[in-house]
Amino acid sequence: MVNGFDQFYYAIDNYIIFFYRMTGISMVDYMIGTFCFSLIAVLLGELTISLAIKVNTPYLTGLSHRMKEKETLSIKAYETGDMAGYKALNKEATDAWGRKFFAMLAHSAAILWPVPFALGWMQTRFAGIDFPIAFPFSIVTDSVGYTFSFFPIYILARIVFGKLRPHLPYFASVHRKLTEMSA
Amino acid sequence: MKLKFKWFLLFLTAAALVLPMIAATPVMADPLADAIAAVPQGTGPGQIDPSASAGIFGIPGAPSPGLLLCFCWAVWVGWIFSTIGAFGGVMAGVGHISIYGMGPYAKTFKDTSPAINKILTDSIRVSNQWLGGLSALVSTINYGRQKRLVTSLGIFMGIGALFATFLVVFTTAGKVSFSQYQGWFGLCVFLIFTFMVYEMSPKGQASKTAAKAAAKAFEDTVKNKGSIEGQGVKILNWSITKAEVSFFGQKFSFNPIWAFIGGFCISALASFIGVGGGFLYVPFLTSVVGLPMYVVAGTSSVAVLIGMFFSIFNFMVLKGVVVYWPMIGVELVGVFVGSMIGPRTGKYIPEKALKWLFLILAFYIGIRYTLRGFFGIPVP
Repeated sequence: MVNGFDQFYYAIDNYIIFFYRMTGISMVDYMIGTFCFSLIAVLLGELTISLAIKVNTPYLTGLSHRMKEKETLSIKAYETGDMAGYKALNKEATDAWGRKFFAMLAHSAAILWPVPFALGWMQTRFAGIDFPIAFPFSIVTDSVGYTFSFFPIYILARIVFGKLRPHLPYFASVHRKLTEMSA
Repeated sequence: MKLKFKWFLLFLTAAALVLPMIAATPVMADPLADAIAAVPQGTGPGQIDPSASAGIFGIPGAPSPGLLLCFCWAVWVGWIFSTIGAFGGVMAGVGHISIYGMGPYAKTFKDTSPAINKILTDSIRVSNQWLGGLSALVSTINYGRQKRLVTSLGIFMGIGALFATFLVVFTTAGKVSFSQYQGWFGLCVFLIFTFMVYEMSPKGQASKTAAKAAAKAFEDTVKNKGSIEGQGVKILNWSITKAEVSFFGQKFSFNPIWAFIGGFCISALASFIGVGGGFLYVPFLTSVVGLPMYVVAGTSSVAVLIGMFFSIFNFMVLKGVVVYWPMIGVELVGVFVGSMIGPRTGKYIPEKALKWLFLILAFYIGIRYTLRGFFGIPVP
């Protein structure tokens, strides 16, 4: 597996490093490159979750309905002072939620699978290079590695993509489905 | 809540953009490379043969688990997550320790290079956490959008998690040998086994039947009587000993000190073993704190996320623990495929059969890892 991935990273290196050579100013290039690279990871993840949504929506919707029904009833029981009913229904709602939680947890892999691969490539380029940081943050640690900067930039890329999604072809319909599911 | 969450994200982003620019002089440090260089060279156990092909972390001669093996095992993990709703984190750990061979390999360095033994052990712990942590992130964002998070409760549990992870990481990172870790992992699985045995015992079954009957009775009385108004979480007031929140028009209270203690204890265990701790947060919030599902759902997601975030941050950023990224990537793809298969196949297997299967698995893994880890007794 290790050799296969080394070859894979070597193959994509020329393409990815293009984004890291935009201005010639090393820190600015690092930020721009990591943002573009994150955007690619976001796009791949979004394409995969769209597949999952198409296939698994009925299952997740069924779990959501069951969960909402039980939790609404549990609060009604609490309202009427039926504590035994409240506890029992609350437990049933939690069971349904547990199933949905772990199902969503597994589904979230669809959005995030490109992240470790991206970090794997960054490791080939930036492992061992730490960025010293200044006071008062230096109280916690005196330097940070590439993972520290990747995640906030990745979140920024997600926010940017999230704003663009309703206006993009294909992704607009995915956006509608995701909104329905989280409602 | 939404506004606060956005500010938090923006702060993180700004910090990432600005901090490295403050003093952009590279500092070279690679504890793994230093540890590898210090290992005696040779072809025997506990030695590194420089001419051997590179395995995980680029260590010559280290295990190089096949892509297909990692993928298939992760499909199994994803299947469990989406079908059973628990035990996935444990199975991810079993994969890293036994199936991919990282555990036995780490063990060979017990005498020749304790540093590599401990670096690999930490790596197994953090690899487990990455799988759960990434998923908790997505879950938390979803619940945040639905406004189902009680920020005050999350903050109290989060402070507990912060203290716990600092304590665990700084007292155990680079100090726990693989054998000790394996033993504790086994004991943790025994804890899950005990929960499962109780649930299947006549007492556990009786309480379940009584709960189901009470739920059914109430459902019948309120059938078709309309919906409840006044949903949504509102924090009414809070002090150090009592906090009040309302939702669905009802008031619920919890003790912030208990939330802190719960967050501390659960995060300490989760961080040490390398799991999310969701299986402990949910019963804690429903049974000990006494909160309804509406709050438990989002808050336990955020509690898992906070614990994971601090734990991973402390291990990787402050202590320099490394993980093999491509392996985690392949696992995420496998978990996703497993989660697609799970709902389609799980319904054909009776729930009781599944429970027995996991009871046997929990017992076997628990006893095998405990005996091997603490007493060196090999169980096949």
